[in-house]
Amino acid sequence: MSPGPGVGAVVGLALLAHDLNRDLQRAARAAGGAARLASLAPARGAAVVGCDVARFAGAMDRRRVAEARARCLRDGATVVESDALPLRLRQVFDPPFGLFAAGRWAATAPLLDERPVVAIVGSRHPSAAGAAFARSLAADLAAQGAVIVSGLALGIDAAAHEGALDAGGRTVAVLGCGLGHDYPRRNAGLRRRILEASSVVTEYWLDTEPAPWRFPARNRIVAGLADATVVIEARGRSGALITADFALELGRVALAVPGWPWSEQSQGSNELIRSGAGVCLGSEDVRSEVPHDGWVDADTPAPPPPDGRCAEVYGLLRREPLRAEQISQSAAISPAATAAALAELEVQGLVFRGEGQRYWAVRRGS
Amino acid sequence: MVCAIPSPTLVGLDTSTVQVEVDLRPGLPAFSVVGLPDAAVREARERVRSGIVNQAYAVPTRRIVANLAPADLRKSSAQYDLPIALSILAASGQMPAASLDGVGAAGELGLDGVLRPVPGVLAMAEHARRCGWRRLVVPCENAAEAALVAGGAEVVPVRDLRDAAETLAGTREARPVEAARGHDGGAEPPDLLDCRGQSAARRALEICAAGGHSLLMMGPPGSGKTMLARRLPGILPPLTREEAVEVTRIHSVVGLLDPGAPLITRRPFRAPHHSISVPGLVGGGRVPRPGEITLAHLGVLFLDEVCAFAPSVIDALRQPLEHGVVDVVRANIAVRFPARPLLVCAGNPCPCGFAGDAKGRCVCTPARAEAYRARLSGPVADRIDVRVDVPRLTPDDLMGTGGGEPSVAVATRVRAAARHRRGRGQVVPNAGLGPRAARAAAALDRDGERVMERAVDRLGLSARGFDRILRVARTVADLAGADEVGTDHLWEAIALRAPGAGEAR
Repeated sequence: MSPGPGVGAVVGLALLAHDLNRDLQRAARAAGGAARLASLAPARGAAVVGCDVARFAGAMDRRRVAEARARCLRDGATVVESDALPLRLRQVFDPPFGLFAAGRWAATAPLLDERPVVAIVGSRHPSAAGAAFARSLAADLAAQGAVIVSGLALGIDAAAHEGALDAGGRTVAVLGCGLGHDYPRRNAGLRRRILEASSVVTEYWLDTEPAPWRFPARNRIVAGLADATVVIEARGRSGALITADFALELGRVALAVPGWPWSEQSQGSNELIRSGAGVCLGSEDVRSEVPHDGWVDADTPAPPPPDGRCAEVYGLLRREPLRAEQISQSAAISPAATAAALAELEVQGLVFRGEGQRYWAVRRGS
Repeated sequence: MVCAIPSPTLVGLDTSTVQVEVDLRPGLPAFSVVGLPDAAVREARERVRSGIVNQAYAVPTRRIVANLAPADLRKSSAQYDLPIALSILAASGQMPAASLDGVGAAGELGLDGVLRPVPGVLAMAEHARRCGWRRLVVPCENAAEAALVAGGAEVVPVRDLRDAAETLAGTREARPVEAARGHDGGAEPPDLLDCRGQSAARRALEICAAGGHSLLMMGPPGSGKTMLARRLPGILPPLTREEAVEVTRIHSVVGLLDPGAPLITRRPFRAPHHSISVPGLVGGGRVPRPGEITLAHLGVLFLDEVCAFAPSVIDALRQPLEHGVVDVVRANIAVRFPARPLLVCAGNPCPCGFAGDAKGRCVCTPARAEAYRARLSGPVADRIDVRVDVPRLTPDDLMGTGGGEPSVAVATRVRAAARHRRGRGQVVPNAGLGPRAARAAAALDRDGERVMERAVDRLGLSARGFDRILRVARTVADLAGADEVGTDHLWEAIALRAPGAGEAR
């Protein structure tokens, strides 16, 4: 066992945590650091961690660690040592011992230090409007130079990653399980897109399975990587609120997108605002809260305002979401013309189809 | 002495000749049927024996062998009763053997010697014409159907065995036959007037009828999807005479003809239940029978609750939708059925049907709803041109007095669109255009190109999705009587786009 910090220690501790199916943060604190813990003699180490000597020795066994590193190499996973972690992440209380990163980590890692980094998190079951807002916010921020971080969960997380990718930006997904698990399965396609453009990271060994208790721990990395955390549609006890708490503890910016007061969907986000978090109505709110040299002005021109028939439909929808049928009745336009106008507005990105087959207007710029 | 008479036999929807030969040999009295007969044919012995006796003829007290040639074709119908009985009569000298020259026959005998109708007589009459037979003897009930074939064999309708023997021998006058006409009476087909609200879905029906596009309707239960679909045949152009005969032929083979009105003049509407099997839908069986998709040929195939069909059943639609035919291949037989229906699917947005309900009545987990919808994605979704949402009706719609257009008005526009299409010099319906033909028929100007560029960019259209929009836009333009596809037509087609495999929905 080579003493001192290094890739071996990261892999060894991840293997041990995997074997024991728990985290070793407390043991690392007791030993005075991850590197120290990894370099302890098996008997001493086992006592600190509180496990069998054989277990400890087995995980730290030089041959097993070497095999594990070879496997990382084969599977395309980069092992990031603790002193190569992104700067912001090192400030986290209980920072990860290291990271396993897949995709284009070498290209992505410097950006996490140089660019503004924004975490966008929220409900796994968002409304269509919430998901659309997350996508649009991520796209705007990415176009202005930010790296978008989220947890690759369904719902808001996925929408945020997609928005950033669609805008041609960078986005980092932090997993609550090992890289070997395609979880959640439904985001497998999104995960491939992220791997091609940026990176997927985790502190867990490749085979570690997703477990409920690992997601809050994952959230500390999400918050730790970012300058600001934006919460969209968090319910009362959402994990997104844990991420926001981590951000606040670190003295980072936490913002929430307000929701309708009676909506259960946004109860958590609204509570967050009440307890002092900033309000996020668009990318400009994030930008004004996060002073950074890395911001650039997006060169995408604002879409031209709709005219004629489309203007009329858009005007109606800005008041409230409506179904196509209702639009054609209120505006006295034929169903064919209504459908055409809605398609045009949808392609311009000014409306989207939400629940109950109602169309919602998107507010831009103003 | 050997006597023979041909009988036309069905192989799928096609026909071939089975030669029915009877030989009377000296020996102990016996009666056997050879030539790969199945149970129904083997039992012909009993029916023929009783039929002959009860018609006051005599069963020869000799060894009777009936052979059905060719021997390698499986025979599975009771239609050989009549030819076997006639051959026995001729072979035993109870009727002149010469009267069987150039005569084909098919019919099932009752024990009293009265004939029962058999399926597929229209196809048999066509076969008789092709083979140049002089006369075709069929049961009375089938005569009007057989007479639909003009310029073929003389149709001889007969009531019973004696009637057949004497008419052929010339000692009895042949009955007159009249070709079937479509029946004008009967229940009126459902009218669009009955549907409330749903203007978007009505418009989609009109477009599908005009261009032959397949349609997907999504909406909660009770919003009227089935009602709308049932009204689609009523706005399609009426069947031409050739088409009517084609449809009648198929339904005749399956035995679905109404004996009172053996010519089908209305477009068929088939709505199989979602528990249907693959052979039930596309055809199959040891002796292949057409499935629902063939029965809906030139009409409407409606798959209600499309997400509840077995995935294998939905996948089986692929080849027929692409090529307009079904090839059913079994160990010793391969047949081809026509299958060119207008496909209409209706689905709920989730298993309970209430996804997105304003009152929050949906009880499905998102994963379950997603898995449910995923059943429709993939190869078949790729072949659906038009998708329309059919939302729950509002109280206003329900209280209103209906107020939609009658089917006649819509049908007039649909016919006008078809006329306009033919005026442009295009024979195939727009839905049948291939990628290159679609791009030629819906040539875009600068503005149109810009619209499509933006749509591809924003909506992530696949190549297939792109062509689908062009085809639908061409139909919208035809309905508007426009020669060129304009931006408004494109936008409407984009609004009706059905997300295909792997596209965002």
